[in-house]
Amino acid sequence: MTSPRTQAQSPFRVLRRGFGLSAVGLVGLAVVYVVALGYTPVEARQGLAQKIFYLHVPAAWSALLAFSLVGLASLLYLWLHDPRLDRFAAASAEVGVAFSLVMLTTGPIWAKPIWGTWWTWDARLTLTLFLFFLFVGYLALRAAVQDPHERARFSAVVGILGMLLVPFIHLSVYLFRTLHPQPIVLKPSAPSLPPEMLRTLLLSTVVFTVLYLGLVTLRYGIALAEEAREAAADG
Amino acid sequence: MRRALRLAAAIAAKDIRAELRSRTALISALVFAALVLVVFNFARDPTSLAATALAPSVLWVTFALAAMVAMNRAFMIERENSALDGLLLAPVPREALFLGKLLANLAFVGTVELVTLPLFTLFFNISLLPRLPGFLAVTALATIGFVAVGTIFSAMAVRTRFAELMLPVLLLPFMVPPLIGAVQVTSRLLADRPLSELWGWLRLLALYDVVFVTLCTLAFSAVVDE
Amino acid sequence: MGEPPDNGAYLVAAYVVTAAILIGYWLRLWRLARKSGAGAEKRTR
Repeated sequence: MTSPRTQAQSPFRVLRRGFGLSAVGLVGLAVVYVVALGYTPVEARQGLAQKIFYLHVPAAWSALLAFSLVGLASLLYLWLHDPRLDRFAAASAEVGVAFSLVMLTTGPIWAKPIWGTWWTWDARLTLTLFLFFLFVGYLALRAAVQDPHERARFSAVVGILGMLLVPFIHLSVYLFRTLHPQPIVLKPSAPSLPPEMLRTLLLSTVVFTVLYLGLVTLRYGIALAEEAREAAADG
Repeated sequence: MRRALRLAAAIAAKDIRAELRSRTALISALVFAALVLVVFNFARDPTSLAATALAPSVLWVTFALAAMVAMNRAFMIERENSALDGLLLAPVPREALFLGKLLANLAFVGTVELVTLPLFTLFFNISLLPRLPGFLAVTALATIGFVAVGTIFSAMAVRTRFAELMLPVLLLPFMVPPLIGAVQVTSRLLADRPLSELWGWLRLLALYDVVFVTLCTLAFSAVVDE
Repeated sequence: MGEPPDNGAYLVAAYVVTAAILIGYWLRLWRLARKSGAGAEKRTR
């Protein structure tokens, strides 16, 4: 049963907002590219490849943000049973996959020249790998359940359990790694960043956050539009 | 509270009795676990790594896989007989229902593990008896972790289209922390390390169990109720 | 002071892949929106 308020959400309006915001995000991304590649100084020890940092870290931040919001929306859904929360969680999970993919590709591409190996089981990369699998599992479950109410409930349970898994993954991976110190040739992020680098990082983080919000709004709008179309087809 | 626990025990007892009557599932699970151990023995280069180095990993991957196979099956049978629907119609608190299922699954998986353990010591030439208390403790703690999340996920997976694939995809990430802890404890046990070195990992296992048993018990109602 | 290592190729690869993923995903959403949003819009008009 949809409340009058949910029906008032026009898919077209949401889609337009989503397109606008994500377009701004993409333009911002182009700006970040120009700033990072053209204006930010090259790090002496790591060379040009260090600049991957300006994409890798904000992507990780966005993936984690996406994941936390899936968890939060799931919790709220089980409490309030508002379908908007379920729709949002699904959108956030999908966008989270995209950012996790960015993280999981830029990570090895960065690691190879700096650490000499494509993959390292460091805390951030490992955690993102888990987030990726949790996102994918979440979306696979949604695809495999037909009834929308059942799908929402099941997804919410997985979302909440997943959110609570993260600290345990973090803890056990950290404890696991302190037993086997990895040979680190160069630390990927300098202990104190010079101000130009910090500014670029901050800019990129803001842009990635805007991108996240835009993409989620867009995805949410698509879900709304699809539901409206199905409702019209049934009615 | 006491009534809920008694209900849970009754539900568990019913499931266990049903399992003991047919026994095919239990035997298949045991055979599966034994075969996995055998496969592991051949899936390595005997000249490069000592068997004892890999032993904890082999044991726990075997246990994890066997637990998954067992739990998947448990809810499948339930589904076929629509037995769960009957229980749901009765005014049974969902928490008690979950705990009952959890206990039954624990009994099943625990049995598979207890029978597989001697096989493991045989294949890998390990003397288990002096370290038995430690082994039992870590097996109990890790298995509770596996089965708690596995029970609620198999309740969900069984209602989906690709149940056999859905359960591993959902469950495996959750099995990693207990697995890490279990392997760490087991390898230290085999190296006869003092208890002080095991303590941190055992506490992590226990914490995981407390958090996830509680969470899954509370969340079960969302899975089975409309 | 030594020369910084010559690893520009990795930089290019990472920046290209990132853009491909994000723009590619955005395009996918755009196509999905056209399929479902446009239809609903026509109906309300």
